[in-house]
Parts: sequence; C-alpha cells; structure tokens
Amino acid sequence: MWRTRLHFLFLFAGVAIAVLLGIHMVTLHLDAILGFFGVNAADPTGWLSMIGRASQGVWASLYIALLAFVLYHALYGLRGVILEVTTSVRTERVITRVFIGVGILAFIWGSYVPVALLSS
Amino acid sequence: MKQITHRRNYLGAGGWVWAGNYQMERYLYLLHRVTGLGILLFGLIHLTMTTFFRIQGQDIWEATMTVLSNPWFKFGEYLVAVAFVYHASNGLRLILQELGFVLGKPTPPIYPYKDALRKKRPWTIAMVAVIVILAGVFLFDFTIGGW
Repeated sequence: MWRTRLHFLFLFAGVAIAVLLGIHMVTLHLDAILGFFGVNAADPTGWLSMIGRASQGVWASLYIALLAFVLYHALYGLRGVILEVTTSVRTERVITRVFIGVGILAFIWGSYVPVALLSS
Repeated sequence: MKQITHRRNYLGAGGWVWAGNYQMERYLYLLHRVTGLGILLFGLIHLTMTTFFRIQGQDIWEATMTVLSNPWFKFGEYLVAVAFVYHASNGLRLILQELGFVLGKPTPPIYPYKDALRKKRPWTIAMVAVIVILAGVFLFDFTIGGW
C-alpha cells in the first residue's frame, strides 16, 4: 500500500511542478509576451530583479516547494528507470537509499540559499 | 525438465525503443522518458547555478548571466522549455488515463474493433496540438528577443 501512496505522490508532484514551474517559466522567459499584456517584467534574470524576488516570502516559498516536488518527482522517476534494467533486490535497496540521501542533501542546500537571501 | 528462465521476455534498455510493432503512444512514452532525463540534467546545472553562483553576490551572478547569454545556451534553454512543455502535457495525459478519466464507456466488441489506444487517440492528438502551440509561443518570444 505504501508503494501505491509513493506513486500517487509522484503523480501529485508532477501536477504541482507543472503549475509552479509554469509560473516560473512564464515570469522569467515570456517577458516580451507579458509586456504585451501590460505586465512589466524587464530583465527578469538581472541581479536587481532576481534579488527583488528573492526578498519576497511568496517567491522563496514557491521555489522551496518547487525544489521539494522536483527532487521527489525526478529522483523517483530516475529510480524507476534504473530499476527497469536491474534485477537485484540489493541494488534496488542501495539505489533507493542513495537517492533518498542525495534528495535530502540537495533539498537542504537548495532551500538554504533562498532562506539566506530572504534576509539579505 | 524445463528450466525456468529468469525474466525470459526481458529485452533490457533496447526494448524501450523496439520490441515489435509499437504504436504512436509508445514513442510518446519513450520521448517522455528522454525529456525527463534531459530536464533532470538541466535541473542539476540550474540548481548549481542558482545556489553556488547566486550566493556569492552580484559580480559572480552577472558574470554567470553573461556566459549564459551566449546564443547556444539560449537555444539550449529553448529546447529545455519545449522539453518541459512536452513532458508536462504528456504527463498530464498519462495521469488522466491512469486515473481512468479519459477511458470512455465500455463498448461491445463489434467489428471493426476499436482498441483502447484508438479510443484514446483523440486525446493524444489534442495533447500534441497543445505542445506544438506552446512551443510556437515560446519560439515567438525567443525570436523577438524576450529570452
């Protein structure tokens, strides 16, 4: 049953990423089209724009949530791909533990930076 | 006595590409996997860039952005954006199918038979159309210099 729950979490994370990454992509990459609709997003990757977003709690929360969903979805998906080409239970256990460790470390480091910039 | 062969029908990674008469959905699934791995690779680079380089201050950040403003990197970003659009759209289609929302009503098997894949194909074609439109929107923004 817990495997089913993990799989549903994988699906839910996929939908959440589509929404959150969609916001990220539109804000950072469709600035010309946003400008057409009257939204001023000039130079969204410039230092001032970036640090302006980083100092807002909403954006920091959005990026930390996105990081958590992306790490879970990506590592769970990659684990599934790798497990298709291996038959060993021991290898499966090792891969699962390595991916959990990598995911936790990446989440700690990846969420530390937005939190640090929030107070800058 | 017949020997039991372990995973006898197992084709390995080669089976992802060819194991007989695959239909369109199978290749969409293969592309889903390839785009997923590509996005994961980009994600690692992106995470490195937005943490290690961002935390070091304005000069390092602006130097990084100058390097990334190279047209080849911009084109790579466009490909990643299209890969994301594809992976997200196809993923939503797969989720809807897995949860049974687009399976349709069961019908009696009267000739000419309509298998499950053909019943769902209009959804697949609609999804491909959405991807092409969104890729076009990104291409438009890319060509007018919005990136």
